[in-house]
This record gives sequence, C-alpha cells and structure tokens, in this order.
Amino acid sequence: MSSAILMRNLAKQYGPVIAVEDLSLDVPKGSMFGFLGPNGSGKSTTIGCLTGLLDPSAGEIEILGERFTAESVHLKRRIGVMPETLGLFEPLYAHEFLAFVARMFGLDEDTTRTRVTELLAALELTDSRKTLAEYSTGMRKRVAFAAAVIHSPEVLFLDEPFESIDPAGVALMKQWLRRLTEQGRTVFITSHVLETVERLCTAVAIITRPGKLVWHGDITVLANDGSIQYDGQEFRALEPLFLHLTGQHYADLNWL
Amino acid sequence: MNLQLVGNLIRLRYRLIWAKTRSRNGKIALFLSGYLLLIAVIALLAAGGLGAGTIAVRAGKATEIAAVVLFGVYLCATIGTVILGFGMNAIFAESEMRRYPLRARERALARHIVAMLDPYWYLVAGLEIGLLVGLYLFGAGLFWLGLVAVLLLYVCNYVTARVVSTMVERMVARRGGATVLMAVIMALSLGPSLLMPYLQKHPHAAVPYLAWGKWTPPYGAALAMTHPDLRAVWGLGLILLWTALLGAAMAALERWPARARRASSGKLQWASRYEGVGAFLGPQNAILIGQWLRFFSRNNRFRMMYPLSLPLVGFMIYAFTRQPGMAHGPKVEFASAVGAFAIVGFIGTAQFAVNQFGYVGNGLRRYLLLPADPAAALRSCSYTFALLDAVLIVAGLVAWPFLSRGPFDPRMMVLLAGCSLAGMFLYLAAGLWVSLLSARRGNYYSSFGNDLSFAGNVVLIGTMMSLVFLPRVAAGRWPEAFWSGYWWVTLAAAALAFGIYWTSLERASAWFRARRERLLAIMEGRS
Repeated sequence: MSSAILMRNLAKQYGPVIAVEDLSLDVPKGSMFGFLGPNGSGKSTTIGCLTGLLDPSAGEIEILGERFTAESVHLKRRIGVMPETLGLFEPLYAHEFLAFVARMFGLDEDTTRTRVTELLAALELTDSRKTLAEYSTGMRKRVAFAAAVIHSPEVLFLDEPFESIDPAGVALMKQWLRRLTEQGRTVFITSHVLETVERLCTAVAIITRPGKLVWHGDITVLANDGSIQYDGQEFRALEPLFLHLTGQHYADLNWL
Repeated sequence: MNLQLVGNLIRLRYRLIWAKTRSRNGKIALFLSGYLLLIAVIALLAAGGLGAGTIAVRAGKATEIAAVVLFGVYLCATIGTVILGFGMNAIFAESEMRRYPLRARERALARHIVAMLDPYWYLVAGLEIGLLVGLYLFGAGLFWLGLVAVLLLYVCNYVTARVVSTMVERMVARRGGATVLMAVIMALSLGPSLLMPYLQKHPHAAVPYLAWGKWTPPYGAALAMTHPDLRAVWGLGLILLWTALLGAAMAALERWPARARRASSGKLQWASRYEGVGAFLGPQNAILIGQWLRFFSRNNRFRMMYPLSLPLVGFMIYAFTRQPGMAHGPKVEFASAVGAFAIVGFIGTAQFAVNQFGYVGNGLRRYLLLPADPAAALRSCSYTFALLDAVLIVAGLVAWPFLSRGPFDPRMMVLLAGCSLAGMFLYLAAGLWVSLLSARRGNYYSSFGNDLSFAGNVVLIGTMMSLVFLPRVAAGRWPEAFWSGYWWVTLAAAALAFGIYWTSLERASAWFRARRERLLAIMEGRS
C-alpha cells in the first residue's frame, strides 16, 4: 500500500532543546493511525512539521507521494488539520468561521453554504447568536473539527480531538472518521485516551521524550483478543504497552 | 479583608513585569524605559513642577497657578488613559482572581490597586510632587499637607479615568454609541476654536464658568498645597468628596454589566459585504481581507478609535500648536494641516498596524494552515489597513475646505493627499517590521489598555508627535516650503513612500515565513 505520510529522519530543535529526534515513519493510505506519547514528547511538534506550521531542523516529509514544505500550497489544499490550540477566530460566529475556511480551501459559494449548514446541524452547533468566544470548550472543539473536514481532505491530522467533547459528539466523530478511512482517506490522530485509540486505530506509533520513536506497529490484533509481543512480554491492551515503553512513575505524597 | 493575598497579587504583578526582562528585547526595553523614565522624572520635577511652583509663588497667585498646573496634569492623565490606554491594563482578569479565596470586594480592591500602581501613574505623581516641592521651597503651604493632597489627587485622578473609560467603553458597546461619542469629541475638539473669537471680544463672559473650577479636585489639592490653615482642610475634603462620588459611580458602573452586541436574529447571515470590499484589491485577496475587516469591525477598540481618528487629529493639532512661542500665520497654519494629513493617513489603524497579529491569538495558527503562502496573512492585513486608511484620507480631504480658515487653492488638496498617502505608506511599512520584530500579545476584548510593545509605542507616539510639531517649526523657519506651489513634492514623496512600502512588504513576507514559529509562540502565550 502506498504512503499517505512519510517521514525520513525528521528532527526539530529549538536552540539546544531537542523536540523531535531522527523520526522515521510510514503511514499507509487509508489507515487510521494513532500517534502516541507522554506530555512533552513531541507529538504536537511533529504534527506542526507535518502540516507546515513548523520548519523541521532536519529530515524530509512526503505527503501523498510529494515532498511537503510550508510553501506546498497545493498539498495543503488536500489535508485537513485540527490543531490542539484549535486556531479559531473568537469574535466570529461558527458559520462565518467555517465559511471562511471553506472559501480559502476553494469551495464554491453553494457548496460552502450547504456544507456549513449541514456540519453545524450534525455537530449541534445551531446557536447562531453566540460567537466562538462564547462557546464552551467542547463546542469550540467541534467547530475546529468541522473546519478540518469541511473540504473533504485526503489526509486528516487531529491533535487531541476527543478531549472535552461529550460521548455523543465523540461517537459521531468516530463514525465520520471510520467512513473517511473506508473511502481510502488517511487519519493521523494524537490522543491520550488510549482506549479510544485502541478501538479506533489500525496502527500506532509511540514516541518518548525527546520525540524518539520507540514502537510502531499494527494493533488490530488487540481488537480480536490477540496480543502484542514486545521485549519478551505479552501485552493484551495498549495501555500496559504504552506504560512499559514510556515508563511509569510512582510518587507517594503523605499529605495527599 | 484578606490584605495578605491582595498584597501577593500586587507583588505578582511586579514579578510579571520583571519576568518580561528575561528576554533580550525585554532587557533592552527595561534599560531604555528605565533610563527615559529617570530623565523624564528629573525633567518633570525640575521644569514642570519646581518651575511652576516658583512662578506661582513669585507671581503672588500660588493657589491659582498651582490649580491650573494640577488641572492640566489631571486632564492629560485622564485623556492619556482613555485614549491611549496607559495605566489601565487589567493584569488579572476577574475569572483568574476567582481562583483565589478572595471575596468580591477584595478582588475589586486588588484589581484597582494593581491598576493604580501602574508605572504610568508614577509619572503623574512625579509632576505633582515636583510642584509641591517647588511651592514648599518658596514658602507656600505645609509639605505634609501638600503630600496628603497629592496622594488623594492621585487616587481621585485614577478613579476619574476609570469612570470615564468605563462610560466610553459601555457607550461604544451599544449600537450607535460610537457615533454619539464622536459627536462629543467633535464638540470638545472644535468647541474651543469656535468659542475663542467670542471670548476674545467678551473676556468677562467666561469668568462665572471659570469659578466652577474652584469646586474641582485639582483646586482642592492646590488649596491644600498653598495654605497651612483651614482652607487646606477644605481642599482635602473636596478631593475626598469627589473621590467618594466617583468611586460610587465606578461601583455602579461595574455592577451594571456591559451589554454584548448580539446577532439580530437566529438566522445565518451569509452576506459577505466584507469580501466585496476586499475584492477591490483582487479576488485572491478578497477572502483574507474580508476576514480581517470582519475581525476588526467587531473589535471595540477599533470601533471606538476609527471614527474618532479625524476629530482627534483636529484636536491634537489645535491643542499642541496653540502653545505660546509658536509661529502663527496662514502658511504656518497650512504647515500644521500638512502634518495633520500625514497623521490622517494612518491614525485610524495606527495601534493595530504596529502589532498586526497581536489580537488574533491562536487564530494565527489557522492562517498558517490555510492553503496559501504563509505570508498572505501579513500582506492581506496590511492591505486591509490601507483600505481603511484610504477612507479616512478621502473623508479628511472632503472636510478640509470647510474647516480651513486660510485661502483655498486646489493644489493644496493635491499636496495634502500626497502627504496622507506618504504618511500611510511609511507608517504601514514601519508597522510591518514592528509587527514582526516586536510583536506583543494583546487582549482583543479589552477596549482600553496599551497592548503595544516598547517599539510599537515609540513608532506610534513618536511619529504622531513629530508630525504635530515638526511641520509647524519648519514652516516658521522656511515658510515657502509649505505652500501649494510645492504640491508635486508630496506626490513624489507619496510615490517614494509607496516604493518603500512595497519593498518592505516583499522583505517582510520573507521574514514572516522565517519568524512564524516565534510569532506563534508569542500569540499563543508561550513566550
């Protein structure tokens, strides 16, 4: 299967601080790919490099078979991004924001209006009297998700998409993501909710500080009551594997 | 009253100021501002305060002259706060302070004390203390009574500024409020020039109105500074009375919540008039310019400042150039208009142009994710300012023949238009660089407060002050240089300024691509 995302020796440094180190990864087309790691391990930095927000210090990125840089405008048109910080314009109403994004991605006026209206209804963002600043965190996340999918991207990057969203919203988003991958599109997700990743994703990469890949593989076996063998141990779920790879810390505070 | 926690918040505010000096830019800003502050305080104490004190006592009208000086300082501090936002920054939002075990009254107290201890107010106090020292050294009044008066006046001035600011903010938030405010400012700015000829003919007509001045806080402070008897007590009482009244007004205004504007109906509005305006600069820019126009049109600060810009320029020129010792005459007056029109070219968007991304927060990230050149956001924002400034230039040119008192020559219009365009392009060029190299995260929802970086303030205030005074001074020396015969010079200047702007736009776009990570960190509060 051809690659949707290909990283070769990707590195990102901020002065002396290494955020991502020599990361090579191949994400096949049509996969639901989980990108996991503890806080500060470089997940968002990697997504920043993959979406043109950040310039890698070294290494190469290919998306849909083409070399990707911040100036790859034609490739940016084919990807959708839901950044962790959402990137919303708070004084706007949801429909104005989504229409702006849709127009920037080249959708015509009729398609823009149809898709915005349908997305707002499906994601229950129907209170058109509230600006984005007045929305709850979960509703803002829904708007950012809608902005990421409005142009039907071929590759979708989602940075912590499920946090703060209610179960009904998460279920709807999962349903849409599954449909996207069934259509041959690729979804690249970072999340700390390991159970969701385990149920949703077909493959996973786990990185540790500073942005170093420690494990990469298929996890569909876990859904079929199978197990993953690693380091002479057998793991029947993603969480113990993740904790084994990234290290578990215990601290006993006697006042707590 | 949890004074310990309130004290901790005040200490935290100063720690936050100090924390800013950890960066290289912060260190430079600290050095320059510290140095300038020292020079300014010494100059103010010596020239403003001591000088005025000396004149006051020697003239035998210590109270009256002290009252005039204090009234001037009081008025300037209030205007500086309301218009430029100095000394009114909300360091800790109410929602942040609610995290701590503080009652509503304690939170309000902490908020006001933190604002009152803004370094801006120290300058005001420096001038007033200078006057006090001057008066005391020449034998007028008691020092300690005067010091109490200065401290009370300091608090009263802050409360006045807060009340005026809040009233203006509430007014602007209402539909049509900006228009009412503009009418008030127009009346205040044009009123003196309309009244002056009448008062010159009838000098006694103003006397009964001037007597009202004896009931103001500055007059109360002047009484306390110059009299060691019961009149000083009366003066202190007067300030206290005003502080109590204004404090009550402030409390009432704070209890009366700002009414946010809402969409008139629940229906989705698809009309894209903003994009229509943006299309003037090409279809490729229409969507981004439309977005910027929508963004700024909902900003209280912009909605307040933009319509006020023209009357404000008129007011500034009138107030600053009527100083004793400055040259007069039709050519000198026209020179003032030349400076004023250069200011008109950028004043409507001045504070945004030197901090283009300061109010978008993490929206900057969205611009970088769009399928467009990353620098398109920078360029489209600058084009938006140019469009908005152009509207003010046209309005200024239309109004000028009606307001000008001198002889009219059509070439003057060309000359003034050239000045405005030159001012606009040069300021926008400078704004691009300041926005990139000295960006600062601002609060979109605040109507007041000075969110600009040190460099932003230097460019904004320095440019305006230079354009107010320099043409008039130059016209006093070379009067022929500012006459309509030289209309072509400003057109050449406008063309040159456009060249500088265009080159800056190209270069700044490359810099933006290189600095976008740093700008993202600043706007998202990570730096």
